[in-house]
Amino acid sequence: MFEFSIFIIYPLLAAGFCYLAKDLRIQFGASLVIALLHLGLSLFVFLGFYQPHMPTYFAVDSLSKLFLLILSNVYFWVVLVSYSYLKRPVMPKAEGGKKLYFLLLNFYLASNSAAILSNHFGMYWVAAEATTLSVVPLIYFYRNEESLEAMWKYLFLVSVGIAFAFIGILLLALSAKETVPEEKQLFFQLFIRNATLLNPIWLKASFIFIFVGLSTKIGIAPMHSGDVDATSNAPSPVAALMSGSLRITALLGVMRILQIIRPTSSYEFARVILIVGALLSVFVAFVFMFKVNNYKRMLAYSSVEHLGIILLGLAVGGLAFIGAIYHTIYNSITKVVLFLTAGNIHRTYKSREVDRVASVLDRMPKTGWLFVLAFFAISGIPPFGIFFSEIKIFEGILFSDKPYVLAIVMFFLLFIFINMGKIIFAMLYKEGTGQHSREETERFELNHIVVIFLLILLTAIAIASPDILYRNIMNIANDFGVRL
Amino acid sequence: MENVLSILFCLSLFYVVVTTRVKGYVTVLRVQGLILTVLLMIPFYYHFSFYGIIIPVTLLLVKVFFIPGYINKIIIDLDIKRRIEPTIQQISFLLLVIATMVVIFLASHILSRSTGLDVIPFASGFSAIVIGIFIMMFRKKLILHVAGFLIMENGIFLFSTAVASELPMMIELGVLLDVFVVVFLMGIALNRISDTFKGFEVRHLERLKD
Amino acid sequence: MDIEILQGILSITVILGVAPLFAGFVNKQKAKLTGRTGAPVLQPYYELQKLFRKETINAANSSFVSRVAPVLNLVSLIIAAAMLPVGFARPLISFNGDIILFAYMLGLARFFQILAAMDIGSSFEGMGASREATFALFAEPIFFFTIGSISFISGMTSFYGIYHSIQLDNISYVVFIVICSISVSMLAITECSRMPVDDPNTHLELTMIHEVMILDNSGIDLWLYQYSSYLKLFIYAVLEISFFYPFSAKSYLIGLIIFIVGGIVLTFVLGIVETVTSRYRMKNIPQYLLFATAIGILNLLIYTFTK
Repeated sequence: MFEFSIFIIYPLLAAGFCYLAKDLRIQFGASLVIALLHLGLSLFVFLGFYQPHMPTYFAVDSLSKLFLLILSNVYFWVVLVSYSYLKRPVMPKAEGGKKLYFLLLNFYLASNSAAILSNHFGMYWVAAEATTLSVVPLIYFYRNEESLEAMWKYLFLVSVGIAFAFIGILLLALSAKETVPEEKQLFFQLFIRNATLLNPIWLKASFIFIFVGLSTKIGIAPMHSGDVDATSNAPSPVAALMSGSLRITALLGVMRILQIIRPTSSYEFARVILIVGALLSVFVAFVFMFKVNNYKRMLAYSSVEHLGIILLGLAVGGLAFIGAIYHTIYNSITKVVLFLTAGNIHRTYKSREVDRVASVLDRMPKTGWLFVLAFFAISGIPPFGIFFSEIKIFEGILFSDKPYVLAIVMFFLLFIFINMGKIIFAMLYKEGTGQHSREETERFELNHIVVIFLLILLTAIAIASPDILYRNIMNIANDFGVRL
Repeated sequence: MENVLSILFCLSLFYVVVTTRVKGYVTVLRVQGLILTVLLMIPFYYHFSFYGIIIPVTLLLVKVFFIPGYINKIIIDLDIKRRIEPTIQQISFLLLVIATMVVIFLASHILSRSTGLDVIPFASGFSAIVIGIFIMMFRKKLILHVAGFLIMENGIFLFSTAVASELPMMIELGVLLDVFVVVFLMGIALNRISDTFKGFEVRHLERLKD
Repeated sequence: MDIEILQGILSITVILGVAPLFAGFVNKQKAKLTGRTGAPVLQPYYELQKLFRKETINAANSSFVSRVAPVLNLVSLIIAAAMLPVGFARPLISFNGDIILFAYMLGLARFFQILAAMDIGSSFEGMGASREATFALFAEPIFFFTIGSISFISGMTSFYGIYHSIQLDNISYVVFIVICSISVSMLAITECSRMPVDDPNTHLELTMIHEVMILDNSGIDLWLYQYSSYLKLFIYAVLEISFFYPFSAKSYLIGLIIFIVGGIVLTFVLGIVETVTSRYRMKNIPQYLLFATAIGILNLLIYTFTK
């Protein structure tokens, strides 16, 4: 119970504490302590020093260990920079949002941990819904019209999507009728063991519903619009949190149903649907990169693209599957880096439009250079981690039974890279209208330290490739029945 | 008995489709909540179980009192005009709904030969889900989108009774709580939207386009 | 065999004689509910008697159709009335499939009315005729889906057989019958031009449907039209009451009493509905009818899939 309480109950208590404590600093301190505990414990569990015991409805397996670590990591860094972020001046209307900020963050941590650690489809669903509810008020932080509309669309679309996922879960229960798991409720392991006994019609229907429903939350086509709007209008730490950890929690749901479908005859059907969805996402990112003129929206579409690549890797299987799991780790870290630097740029230029941002390298050299490095990282340039994971995914696709998919994906990725580069280099090098004064040199802040540390971490994990990580991922691959 | 309740449920769906009053939607939500509560109370007619009475009572409170009451409050606060201007012709909408229900019933009948399920609650629940989606697509006022979402949730509930697997009590309560909080948040959002945009129709939410 | 024919003749005589009384009761209820004393219950008889003595005038440019149509209208309605089961007697005309003849006899009556209205040549009546035709179009499926679903379930195709197979034993069947009766009542409201489809008291151009078609008739023609409208109302009333009539009752007297009580309850209900509702806008009426059809279809779906 000790682990359970640290992961879930303590953040809830901290949320309550943040409600009572009025001073922002005390809230920040409490949240930081909880985040540190969370990170520490998830690291311990991951490294195998500690075998946790969980109450019913929760369990730990290799996949949850990894995703929990990703969540802890992203959350910790986001909380760390949050305080300096909240101290920045904002419009008077937005002051109200600051009071709820840490409360919602802690609640988010609790519900996301519950979702990752859950063992039961019903519990997963409730926790996923809770994460939506905790993130939605955070999107509205700036209290202006665009963020209001973004919040409404996100709330609505994701709620409908999650309702669809619930229908899928019910259909899954229906597929188990008259077979062994019938009365034993919706535990993952039970379903995985008895997967071949399930009724294929209902299993396929369930898969479609869960996939379409959760795709609103993962942020892939065809229902990506709410997510893109929300990510581009939320404050930067929240956007980093969402891109880094919320999407992969939703992805976890799809992976679980994939795990169940794997031994059955419907596996090919599921694979085809996933590949189509993934290609569609990359296509959407490809199309919209041409005309986006808001750099945060560009980053949101880049999230769509990368989640599409991850999904493609998962669906194709083999080496691509392994690459996809590595990609989740690297993608999370890189997204945090990107959104934090973009947040710096936003603070200085007070606008999200690319046209208004000019000569970043002159005015904010440190942020500018970090932004360049982040762009290289997300585009898959070595030595950053995404290069290695994308290589694995592409190699896996090449040697699978659908090599033409690789050609399509690389075509899209090429143009996405070109467009992103065009926008970013325009922001960095373009001559502005020159009314900004040159006297304020940029100070070296906590933001920058965090970003540099994360970039180093990204490189280090990729190059050092610790054995522990490798073994964990091979375990996951084993669970999913992937053969190299 | 479930069949009777399901047919009453479907009749309420028809009423939602033809009504031109906003309050009509609230009435339908109350009626549907009541039907679902009675549906859940049926097993207790035979053996009374104190522990198990919690869920129907909570369901009653949430679906019949809290949520429709909250929507009523929003309607009064925002002084939403009481009439609905639909997006497509009423008759075409009703025809579409009838055609959909026929297709769903026939499909469930065909499917019920391979798996044992109660056809009527299954088909009623599924048609409520589809009609909820239609309402979300074809109505302009935002509060009606929320109502369509709630109708969809009611349909999911009916559907889950037809699927007849036991969801543990904690999860059921969690589901209800989630729905309630979602509606609460939507209400707050609507308040802000009406303050900011001076209106609450879909055409006001058009800024975030690419 | 003889008893049956006698019972059939008794049924049709009862229907023909009691029809204006029913309309009189409905008007009395409406008056009572709005606080007036109202006309006496036998007023429709007095009206018919008065019309009998008046002179018949036809429009200048009308043809033989206007002379013939009122009679044909009434004759079709009498034939339709002969197919209704009153009490548990066998109706005068009863064979397998007579429900379809019934529906189209009513349709034929309406056809003659519309024809006569158009024959007069005034745009006033033509407008009423077109409205009546449109609403009849939407009303036809209601009858077939409702009565058809009962006949589908019971397996009988004549009124006598259908109504005798209604056993109100289990609750789902009761609900089924109640919903069928609601559907038929919506049909009745349309066919008999009652509120909320048409106001029998208004004579404003924009709002008339049925009244306008008989506007130019007088004397015997008007007598025929008035009587046929009373008859139509009573035909539908009998249909409604028979839904709840316990056809398995053994004694004729008890059956008669139940029938009369049912009739009075129906007048009460009809009076309330007429007083409380206001007329729908013209363009909403097809939707109202489609709603009744939808209820009928739903009934059919649910109850065929449970059998």
